[in-house]
Amino acid sequence: MEKIIGEPKKAFMTGNETVAWACLAAGADIMFGYPITPQNEVMHYWTRLAPKYNRNFLQTEDELSAGFTTCGAVQVGKKAFTATAGPGNVLMQEPFGMAEAMRLPVLSIIQQRGGPSSGTVVYSQQEVTLTTYGGNGEGHRIVYSTASHQEIYDYVIKGFNTAWKYRFPTFILGDGYQAKMREPLEMYDPQDKGIEIIQPYPLIGIPGKIGEDREPQHLCNIYSLEEELYEVVMRVSAEYESISPEIVEFQARNCEDADIIIISHGVVSRAADDAVKILRAQGIKAGYFRPITLRPFPQQQLREVIVQSGAKCLLIAESAYGQLEKLIKQEIYGETVKIENLFMPGVGIIDFDIIKKVKSII
Amino acid sequence: MSLIRIALAGEGGQGVQAVAEILTEAAYNENQQTIYIPNFGLEQRGGVSIAFIQFSDQRIGAPKFNKADVVIALSGRAVARTAGYSDENTLFVYDSGFDFDKEDLPKEAKKIIAIPAVETANRVLHPKVFNIIIMGAVIGLTNVVSFEAAKEALEHKLAYKFETNPDLRELNYKAMEIGKQMAEKSLQEEVDNNG
Repeated sequence: MEKIIGEPKKAFMTGNETVAWACLAAGADIMFGYPITPQNEVMHYWTRLAPKYNRNFLQTEDELSAGFTTCGAVQVGKKAFTATAGPGNVLMQEPFGMAEAMRLPVLSIIQQRGGPSSGTVVYSQQEVTLTTYGGNGEGHRIVYSTASHQEIYDYVIKGFNTAWKYRFPTFILGDGYQAKMREPLEMYDPQDKGIEIIQPYPLIGIPGKIGEDREPQHLCNIYSLEEELYEVVMRVSAEYESISPEIVEFQARNCEDADIIIISHGVVSRAADDAVKILRAQGIKAGYFRPITLRPFPQQQLREVIVQSGAKCLLIAESAYGQLEKLIKQEIYGETVKIENLFMPGVGIIDFDIIKKVKSII
Repeated sequence: MSLIRIALAGEGGQGVQAVAEILTEAAYNENQQTIYIPNFGLEQRGGVSIAFIQFSDQRIGAPKFNKADVVIALSGRAVARTAGYSDENTLFVYDSGFDFDKEDLPKEAKKIIAIPAVETANRVLHPKVFNIIIMGAVIGLTNVVSFEAAKEALEHKLAYKFETNPDLRELNYKAMEIGKQMAEKSLQEEVDNNG
């Protein structure tokens, strides 16, 4: 594979620029996109970089089209991606649904902005429900929620591999803060870190006679009979559940003896991490749990942490009004631990907010 | 160096975001941890533009903050907009060259000082290096980066302009130097006044 970075090197840049470099290093062939803040610079940087490395870009007439062209490109074996936010993410749910139905390895970068509707162009964590369970399907998607530029870089590379290995639509869920802020990270070529890049392959037009040389490809998004659809959805559900343990990722710190466990995801987890350190220094037994994959969710791991710690309370902190909380509640149904929340839809959360909330609870 | 949080606010077009970019680039080059995030709401088109900057020797958490160690407000509206970022530990700096309702100044601050950056830019140097005077002032107030590192980052950012007009380089360096001295002097006067 072509080396893009050379020796691993430090860089100081925005999250959107990081996405473009990571896509390049991961061997992406083409981006399809339509402008929307705060992801615009993913397109800007990609269009600046792509011609130098013989990669491609197409700006479509809207997000529906950007999503569907991405679906088309992966079928002919191109490593394709798109990036969007807010109302653009809403429009893309139809192509994302097609990607679920046809098992297309589409990678999408979502930089959440405020909602509903055009909301703000700034920041939120209000696209959790949409990104994990949007569309008229069962949420057969893989969603990584990143918290730093290093993670954006790492998980974009990993996300392409996940998509092409398991063939479920895969998402890098960032936000406007991560998109627009500058911070240091290390860039590298995946092969230098021992990461084997899965090469894209065509899903249609493949050689060999059907029935003799190969099985037929059923890339289907509509069925005549309800029983047919039922069988497919049940089969895909079973497969999704069976691969989930290999995919789930999470972080847990200071949970062993915790009285209260703070659960957050994405950029908010940085504040939660700081808050736990400060609370611990003050003698308050706080723990930190962060799902990195929101779909599939680290259900087993969170249940274990709750049981082993004997924590009295969970505090769910998010820049949305309960979207992460809903995910958690459905995943840990049956646990009797008390659940408190710090919902700050559309605004940032800092360590101070979390500490204040914890002290009001205990 | 422990965490230092700076909110730099001005009118759109004054160049506060460029200052933030150069300062954080300089800090990064000096192997500091640093985060810079612009406020990029719709109001940035012709409204108050704020840069949230953090410097530390350790990993930095949340990209924004509620209270700053230093607030620098470069217009009347910017004073009103940023007063809320000030608390009893904050050094609040504004430009003495514009009129505004003094009621807008923060109720809580460790110190409130005024610097004559606009006037100096217009009278002594050139209006277009106003933001570079401010950059020098930030260094004079906080020492978040070395003067040399800031010069290098400035060079990196403006190299294409310096190539076509080498005089600009000297003008910018001079603006930085004047800004730094202006800040140091203001801090000193403050000490003298408070006796």
